[in-house]
Amino acid sequence: MITLENVLFKWHAKQPEPTINIPELDIDQGEHVFLHGPSGCGKSTLLSLLAGVTVPTQGNIVLLGKAINQLSNSKRDRFRADHIGYIFQNFNLLPYLSPIENVTLGCQFSKQRQNNALKNSATIAAEASRLLTALGLNDALQHQAVAQLSIGQQQRVAAARAFIGSPEIIIADEPTSALDTQNRQAFVKLLFEQASAANSTLIFVSHDETLQTLFTRSISLVELQGGTDATH
Amino acid sequence: MLLIKLATKSLLNRKASALLTLFTIAISVMLLMSIERVRVDAKSSFSNTISGTDLIVGARTGDIQLLLSSVFRIGHANNGVSWKSYQFISEQRGVKWAIPMSLGDSHKGLAVLGTNKDYFEHYRFAKKQPLSFLQGHEFNHLFEVVLGAEVANTLGYQLGDEVVIAHGMGNTSFHNHDDNPFKVVGILKPTGTPVDKTLHIPLAAIDAIHGSHAHQHEPAQADANDHDHDHDHDHDQHDDVDLVGTPKQITAFLLGFDSPLYTLQVRRNINQYKDEALLAIMPGVTLRELWEMLSIVEKILLLFSIVVVLISLLGMLTSLLSSLNQRRRELAILRSVGARPWHIFTLISVESLLITGLGCIVGTALFYALMLLGADYLQSHAGISLNIALLSSYELMLLAAIMVAGFIVGLIPATRAYFYSLADGMSIKI
Repeated sequence: MITLENVLFKWHAKQPEPTINIPELDIDQGEHVFLHGPSGCGKSTLLSLLAGVTVPTQGNIVLLGKAINQLSNSKRDRFRADHIGYIFQNFNLLPYLSPIENVTLGCQFSKQRQNNALKNSATIAAEASRLLTALGLNDALQHQAVAQLSIGQQQRVAAARAFIGSPEIIIADEPTSALDTQNRQAFVKLLFEQASAANSTLIFVSHDETLQTLFTRSISLVELQGGTDATH
Repeated sequence: MLLIKLATKSLLNRKASALLTLFTIAISVMLLMSIERVRVDAKSSFSNTISGTDLIVGARTGDIQLLLSSVFRIGHANNGVSWKSYQFISEQRGVKWAIPMSLGDSHKGLAVLGTNKDYFEHYRFAKKQPLSFLQGHEFNHLFEVVLGAEVANTLGYQLGDEVVIAHGMGNTSFHNHDDNPFKVVGILKPTGTPVDKTLHIPLAAIDAIHGSHAHQHEPAQADANDHDHDHDHDHDQHDDVDLVGTPKQITAFLLGFDSPLYTLQVRRNINQYKDEALLAIMPGVTLRELWEMLSIVEKILLLFSIVVVLISLLGMLTSLLSSLNQRRRELAILRSVGARPWHIFTLISVESLLITGLGCIVGTALFYALMLLGADYLQSHAGISLNIALLSSYELMLLAAIMVAGFIVGLIPATRAYFYSLADGMSIKI
């Protein structure tokens, strides 16, 4: 499902130590993985590699049976649009779109995700609304200006955007760091529900190890990096 | 479509700066269009001033000076043409008509022209349009006057009103002959030429207001020399006499020929006329020369308005570039949902096109508003008749050029956004 083989990444050629050095990583379909490590250990870089925004200097990243590092730039963009839902740490939403429009944006660059969304609902807007309701945002909130939503509500809209059109892989980059402890757990549980419903693989990055217990599998990036300290 | 929607909403989200930019462009568009319209219309009303006249003849002076004094009533001829020469030349072979013109007198600052009835028949303006009457008819008696459209308008004269004509130019003439009132018998339709600002009286009446029937004076001269006027003169006796009389001098005269072939020959003869130093000009040619003299002003105006448009586009560039840094997160979010770098590029280009396009539309609306407000003023103060018509192909081309320039300027922030979105990827540094 997700396989990394001898992946090495340097921002520039003369960098003495690679930012990322992962000899091997395998994640199965439908797994909920907790990826943790101290800040500066290369988490964001790894996520950029997994999302296909940057390509490794060496090695292969195989997603859904495809070595995405061998695809052209535009094919990688299309791959991301079709198969990956991404949740940022905070400020996930476009302020000038309504929550519904923010969610539908998630499948507007991909025919495949639009078709997936239409399997569940009559229109993509209806599917967006269904997901938002499932994530606990009522009708009134769904049409409010984004700026009037709380951070927790905004993160749920971001989650709905990642889930719309059932992409195979959901990447969440510290999505709970702006939430309080109680909300964090609730938010993670909502993510699990949706990921399970769509049989999506969830990669959840955080330095907050209290959440670790909720996950079936936990990976330390520091250990993954072959024990080398990648901080630079 | 999605990108246009996103661009629109994103712009609306930045209403204040977007509107300001749009407004700057609109004003510059309005300025450019107005200057161009006035320029083109000034040129056409300028060259429309006189047509159908083959030669203008006056005392020897500069070509342009003669044109200005005889047609535009600007400046004044220092010398006149003797009546003898006029009669001799107007009897030459090929001369179809001759219109004597005697200028130099005024009524409330407006020019008074002494002429004959041929003037109403043969004078042409614009595309050989004849003069026509709004009300009344041409003069048939000595103390009758035909008003230009604007004279009647601004001074509020109507048919049957009595008008006093002064000797000399200017509002405060030395002599106001209250005992020599002229009766308004005709008002001409507007022409958009100096004819509108002219009072037409019979040539013989020029003599009459100077009270110089004995020919010891020089009646048609523009200078305001003190004349020995005969106020007790009884002019009723002239009412059924010929309206031309036999003045000693006239300011200039217009000639029309049976065939244009005569023009050059007669012109040469006049310019070599032995008895008097005369000058004959072809109005079309001299009008063009005059316009060429003015064309440097015209070009500077055009240059300025183009610079204003460029400055407004640079303003748009500044505001797009400065907003871009704050929008890196927005661009990264779009990338995360699968937007490709060229989508980002297109998004920013569409924004600049929207601003420029709306700027052009608003600017054109402002331009029409300005034209509607300013047309009357320009007509009465500068004699330029504005043509409030649809956009000409030239003006559409100007708008297209502004759109293209706006698009090109928009490529700069678009390219920058393109590279931001490549470099930033999923990690947004704010």
